[in-house]
Amino acid sequence: MSRKQYVKNLLPTFLVNFIGMLALALFLIASGNSIDTIILILVVWSVILLIYISVSCTLRKRYVERLLSMAEQLEERYLIPELMKEPERADDRVFYQILKMAEKAMLEKINTIQRERKEYREYIEQWVHEVKTPITAMKLLCENNHSDFTRELLVELEKTNRFTEQALYYARSEYTEKDYSIREVPLADVIHEAIADNKYLLRQNHITIDIAGVGDSVYTDEKWVRFILNQLIGNAVKYRTEQPLLCFRSEKQDDQVHLFVEDNGIGISESDLPRIFEKGFTGQNGRMIQSSTGIGLYLCKRLCDKLGIGLEAHSDGSGTSIVLSFHVNHFIVQVQG
Amino acid sequence: MKPYKILIIEDDPVIQNELRILLSGNGYDAVLVKDFSAVIEVVKEECPHLILLDIKLPQENGFSLCSKIRTFSNVPIIFVTSCDTDMDELNSIMLGGDAFITKPYNTAILLAKIAFLLKRVYSVEQSETLSWQGVILHLESSMIEYKNQQAELTKNEVKILYYLFKHAGKICSRNDIVDFLWDNQLYVDDNALSVNINRIRDKLSSIGLNDFIRTKHRQGYTL
Repeated sequence: MSRKQYVKNLLPTFLVNFIGMLALALFLIASGNSIDTIILILVVWSVILLIYISVSCTLRKRYVERLLSMAEQLEERYLIPELMKEPERADDRVFYQILKMAEKAMLEKINTIQRERKEYREYIEQWVHEVKTPITAMKLLCENNHSDFTRELLVELEKTNRFTEQALYYARSEYTEKDYSIREVPLADVIHEAIADNKYLLRQNHITIDIAGVGDSVYTDEKWVRFILNQLIGNAVKYRTEQPLLCFRSEKQDDQVHLFVEDNGIGISESDLPRIFEKGFTGQNGRMIQSSTGIGLYLCKRLCDKLGIGLEAHSDGSGTSIVLSFHVNHFIVQVQG
Repeated sequence: MKPYKILIIEDDPVIQNELRILLSGNGYDAVLVKDFSAVIEVVKEECPHLILLDIKLPQENGFSLCSKIRTFSNVPIIFVTSCDTDMDELNSIMLGGDAFITKPYNTAILLAKIAFLLKRVYSVEQSETLSWQGVILHLESSMIEYKNQQAELTKNEVKILYYLFKHAGKICSRNDIVDFLWDNQLYVDDNALSVNINRIRDKLSSIGLNDFIRTKHRQGYTL
């Protein structure tokens, strides 16, 4: 609260006091008092007035500043009426009432939006589950009638499945706490599963797979890592070059297990590298290849953050290397012996 | 030996039918549930060796069916579903399910799970050797034998021969062989397949077998 503004607001009070002083002075002169007496009375009046104003200003300032700091410390500021005491002053009470009303309206609105969001998210999840039934049916139809034509269809089905999974995990990434279970996962198993998910895509594009020494196990959620690997494999295929190669290898270092997913594709330019995990960022590669969405890596990063997995990308102009770093939990290792 | 009977409890008619084709094609006797108000009766009547169970079903969901089946039978149950949350998986295990596979599944993985469970529960004696026209393939020791002469094989070569022996007499397309290898986590490409086939032929001729694997132009290989 600015003192200057406070004093300015008291202008009518000053004016009334001034008129009062003037009237008193005139009356005292008319009743034949000496100038000295009048000055004394007016000075005393002024001093009392000034003391009153400065004390009330200080008290008021202290009160509102306490309120202000309370509001600033509050994470959800619209809840301030719940913390403050009901004020004594009549006009303050009106403001307090208005705040209360605003808070209530705000809470109602937040509630509605949260409910709607939840419903929408549930709908997306339900939709993904629904759409998986026809995808499964198509996949079975294709696998039971193997031909060159169904092989191509299977590639498209794998893409469809990857996109629907993306939608599912996007919807889920908001409240992941509810949906993961940490277990011991052999890295080789989850890599093989992710490759199986993309078998026809990888074969159609003649990708050479190299799995070199991934004997390590990590403690994590298998489903999520599989999803992340699926996205990485999708990228490796999308940004491939001649004689594409996809290499998986793992390395144990101190208390971390690093999983390297390396390709010999077009790579990522140095200027784009720091931003590839941003939502909607497609960069130079995105301008060259139509189907870049800027969602895949963003989701990977988001899921990795929630699972406590480090995610880094390196590129030296030709080829990309994505490193997933899993922490080795000493506690679990000890308990399991 | 009578084929194993597998009961498919799944409400999507296309998946039902295709699963039946897939399973019968792999030597199982597949039975469908048509009336979902009497699933338990069907299970009691058919006494299947294994059950594939969906979770979302018209009358009663898969979880409650599973716990009902468990009251009278220990038949292995594989949950096959598009519900993939951890809660679903946990529930399925708590209620006595033996495996949990999410849709859309890889048929190779589904068949492998089925074979694994049947082997565990009914302790099937899987033959460790395959033979065709006097040639014996030893799976355990990765050897091929002909007239008491033996040759050692690599992992890739064993798998390729296994596939050819299983489809002996038929033409196996290169694509199908590579598919099979990929399903067995051997990521071999077309060129590597040719290299492997040539190596197998060399080894076969070293034990006195020539022209055992014949190339059918533009179609594939056959024994």
